[in-house]
Amino acid sequence: MSSRHAAPRSGALALILVLGVALAAAPAAFQMFSRAPEGGHMIEEFRPYMRTAKIDEFRGYLDEIDAANAEVSDHLAASPDRTPRPALAELAQEWPTINDDMGDMLTTMRANIGRFRGISALPPFVLFPWFFVLPGVITAGLAGSVLLARRQGLDTVGRHRALVAMGLGVVLAPAIFQMFSRAPGGADMIEEFRPLMTDQRVATIQGYFLTLGAAEGELRTALLPAVDAADPSGSSLPAARAFSEHWPKISEDMAPMIGTMADNLDNFAAVDALPPFWAFPWFFVVPGLGIAALALPGARRRPAALEERPSADGSHTSPVLEGNRS
Amino acid sequence: MTTTIRHRLALAVLAVCVVAAGCGGSDDKASTNGTGEALLGLFRIDAGACDGATVTGSYFRMVQSGGTVQDGPYVANGDSPCEDKSLTVLAPGTDGGLRTGEFQPQPSPAFDATGNATSDRIAKPQAWFAVAFGVSTNEKDPQTGATVPAPTITVTDGVLTGDLSAVGASWNGQEFNQGAPKPGGGSASATTGPTGTYDPTTGAFTLEWSSKIDGGPFTNFTGVWHLEGTFEPK
Repeated sequence: MSSRHAAPRSGALALILVLGVALAAAPAAFQMFSRAPEGGHMIEEFRPYMRTAKIDEFRGYLDEIDAANAEVSDHLAASPDRTPRPALAELAQEWPTINDDMGDMLTTMRANIGRFRGISALPPFVLFPWFFVLPGVITAGLAGSVLLARRQGLDTVGRHRALVAMGLGVVLAPAIFQMFSRAPGGADMIEEFRPLMTDQRVATIQGYFLTLGAAEGELRTALLPAVDAADPSGSSLPAARAFSEHWPKISEDMAPMIGTMADNLDNFAAVDALPPFWAFPWFFVVPGLGIAALALPGARRRPAALEERPSADGSHTSPVLEGNRS
Repeated sequence: MTTTIRHRLALAVLAVCVVAAGCGGSDDKASTNGTGEALLGLFRIDAGACDGATVTGSYFRMVQSGGTVQDGPYVANGDSPCEDKSLTVLAPGTDGGLRTGEFQPQPSPAFDATGNATSDRIAKPQAWFAVAFGVSTNEKDPQTGATVPAPTITVTDGVLTGDLSAVGASWNGQEFNQGAPKPGGGSASATTGPTGTYDPTTGAFTLEWSSKIDGGPFTNFTGVWHLEGTFEPK
């Protein structure tokens, strides 16, 4: 290349072309076309539960059951009636574990509401692959066209500028979508939800639900009638009565939440199998900077810029006046 | 000679057609594959009842995740009147039982304000964990969205088989396919039947199947259904 030449060599353009192809191919390599929409489904299905009010409501249910369990346990311990109450006894035994476990789960969910909002505010997951494919294809196409144009001795400054603009656009995309703040939050959320989103975990929570439901049934159909037979005022065991009265609402809320967890195990696994969320902004920044930097020398128009024109054997030894070629 | 052969062929074809028409002409006992009779009509169910640990009539129970149909563990339903709380007895609904050859879809809305199922044609909604569940058969399965055939039951030498993929249970705002086989023909390991017995003289039948739940709060649990009663041809 002549010392007066600033246009990139073919090797640099080939590298830009490779970066474009790599960008375009990345979604296929990471199976984003199938995994990203699954992530989108999961976000939508969890949305009703990732709210402070809903989580506080569940926390209230735990408090209510806690009070009922304590009250019933005290009653059974003091009562001369020795009739077996197996479901209530099981609740009394299991409740500390259930309360701690469910409480921890709610704490995790509550702590991740902000991160969840950040992720759900990103563009629709189903579009994610195309954020790689489209700039990748355009970049590769522009790089290819520059290579062809140079072979034909045509002015390539405009194409180089388009490449620089594309590179900068790719660099800026993560900032525009606030990915630098949201993506790491998503990565942390995935990390914290990983222990919750397993078959074993779902089965455990299903078991909690059965324990609670069976206990409420025994409370409503056996214990409370027995208590009322002895004391028709109906004023005893108020916390237990409140729990029983609210149980249909509790189960109406709890059952679909368990269902949402169960139904999204595959979706979570798909998202978890993607590259770490924190890395996503850099998947744009690094190739974008590379594209812009590699294309920049050819984007500068000089008054008498010389364009390297390849000889018949492909070597670059015949400088020609660019202006004459336009 | 040629004319004779043609006449004999025509007679043979006519005979086959007559036989085929005769077998298929009855609505209540249509031939299926030449090996059994399709029982089209109403499988009127006897109400379930418990006497101590013994249950008679029709009932439902649910196997917990990881359990087996034979040995459980089963879900204990606190609302069951039975000593064995895993058994939830069923009572005939407004139609009296399960119809074959047609659907008994869930009404709209499928739930009342508190999540109780409103499907009451096959069986009366029964309380399960304080909320009533209902049973229905739907052309478009409410859980999976799959299009399924109307229930069919066939009897061969007194043994019942069939396709109950359209059966669904609704509870607490949730839909659970309870078909056997599952919609689409798949049959998970815990999904078995339907099978049972049929006495053509009295119409007495027993019909059992199990259906693994795929999705929702009871995913990997298995519903076990036992119906018995009397078949009434259409």
